Amino acid sequence: MINNKFNYKTILKKVSKFLLIFTAYSVVYLPIIIIFLLSINESKSGQNFTGLSFKWYLEIFQNERLLKAIMNTLLVALISTFVATISGTLIAIGINSLSKKRRIEMMILNNVPVVSPDIVTGISLMVVFSLLPLSFGFQTMLLAHIFFSIPFVVLSVLPKLKELDPNLFDAALDLGCNYFEGIYKVILPSIKTGIITGALIAFTMSIDDFVISYFTSGNGFQNVSLWIYARVGRKSFSPAAYAYNSLIVLLTIGILTYINKINNKKIKEN
Amino acid sequence: MNKLKNLVYPYLLWMGVLVLLPTLLVLLLSISDLDIFNLGPFNFSDDAFSFLGREEVKIAAINSIKYSVLATIFCFVIGYPVAYFLSNSNSKNKTLYVTLLIIPIWSNMLLRIIAWERLFFPVSILNVFGISLDLIGTDTAIIIGMVSMYLPFMVLPIYSVLEKLDKNLIEASKDLGANEFKTFRKVIFPLSIGGVVSGTIMTLLPAMTAFALPERLGGSKIILIGNIVEDYFIKSGNINAGSLISIILMVVIVVMFIVIVKFDKEGETLI
Repeated sequence: MINNKFNYKTILKKVSKFLLIFTAYSVVYLPIIIIFLLSINESKSGQNFTGLSFKWYLEIFQNERLLKAIMNTLLVALISTFVATISGTLIAIGINSLSKKRRIEMMILNNVPVVSPDIVTGISLMVVFSLLPLSFGFQTMLLAHIFFSIPFVVLSVLPKLKELDPNLFDAALDLGCNYFEGIYKVILPSIKTGIITGALIAFTMSIDDFVISYFTSGNGFQNVSLWIYARVGRKSFSPAAYAYNSLIVLLTIGILTYINKINNKKIKEN
Repeated sequence: MNKLKNLVYPYLLWMGVLVLLPTLLVLLLSISDLDIFNLGPFNFSDDAFSFLGREEVKIAAINSIKYSVLATIFCFVIGYPVAYFLSNSNSKNKTLYVTLLIIPIWSNMLLRIIAWERLFFPVSILNVFGISLDLIGTDTAIIIGMVSMYLPFMVLPIYSVLEKLDKNLIEASKDLGANEFKTFRKVIFPLSIGGVVSGTIMTLLPAMTAFALPERLGGSKIILIGNIVEDYFIKSGNINAGSLISIILMVVIVVMFIVIVKFDKEGETLI
């Protein structure tokens, strides 16, 4: 009897564990799967299956407006990631060298844009940009993307810096490195993984951003999200957007699986 | 080390211009008739406050609280156990499983909302399986959408705290005679509270201020405070009233932020 009850309990446990994990992954992945199905569906309205077709993948390159929006997205993402990664890394190095109290204060400031919801960040930037001598468009969107990316770079670089011996930089200077050599040759190589993670987060956040771009772009300049928002539910909407998104997801999964494989190999070798 | 401190000063200036200055500006906008796009003389005014009494604003505020709290509860109930199972897993692909949960949030959120919208219409690709949903404009649609968008934000902070937890403490608790449930209640859960707080807030805030999600899945029947802010700022040009609502949101954010800082001073659970 006791044995039976025990078995019943473990089975219940296993079933509920499976159900929870299944629910979590499916609720998160279902939209991704639907987007993929819509991208290979011949129907433009996406209301039913009218046949398998890859024409929307071709359409990415034929729809001029969409292609322009994709180019804009990539341009903003590349420049903002580049700038945010470099400045975020330097800022993290600076923050790491502060006393504990000052460091915590700086991190609190750094995390304001991370915690603050997009709509509030978007409005704040829109208001302040209207005062600056900038016309709304590419410049303001780029500035906004740099702004929300830097804190994430700082957050991913800082833990790596903490693992570093605090005397390393001073030792480098004593041994004849100048200030920049000290950073470039001594600090940077040890925090490489943090920088790469930060850059990856910055890039993916930038290519998918909608809300902050919406408030900081004005009317003329569109990234992919703004292109979608302006067209959803209208005739000018094209399932090519689904195709584009599916390609991006495949690419991300590919890159991350590759990184995971390399890491597993390294662990094995060690 | 001391010389490296200088790297922080430009950041202070940058944050001053892009965080502090706009906050003061939004505050000024909310208590005056200043037109930010055509600067000129302005008077202080409490006109914006009259908007707070509007029926639409009240309904939107109540909806925002209702849906975000419900979605956060669902995310926690699903997310905590999942984070717990993942952190206890012995699989060598553990990080891959966690990464798999992050990938969707790196995919376009607007399109993921549209994907749900397509499913929730009576005529959808689900008809192939003989299923026809009619959920647009219902509570279910909003909650499912929110859980789908924000669940990873709940799982990740909890996972990262559980992952760092000293496994010896759990052993010790078991050695001292506590059963599994008691170990969880007395040792594991209290030690993971920092992740729970970050996760809760990182789910609650974006859910509360969402505007594309209720717009698509609410079918113009369900309006959240984000829709009001968008309407005032972009569509109807009522920036002063929009600013006042933003200031109220900022107060909410500051309160939540103080709570996060209490548990996690350097924001280590935020990414």
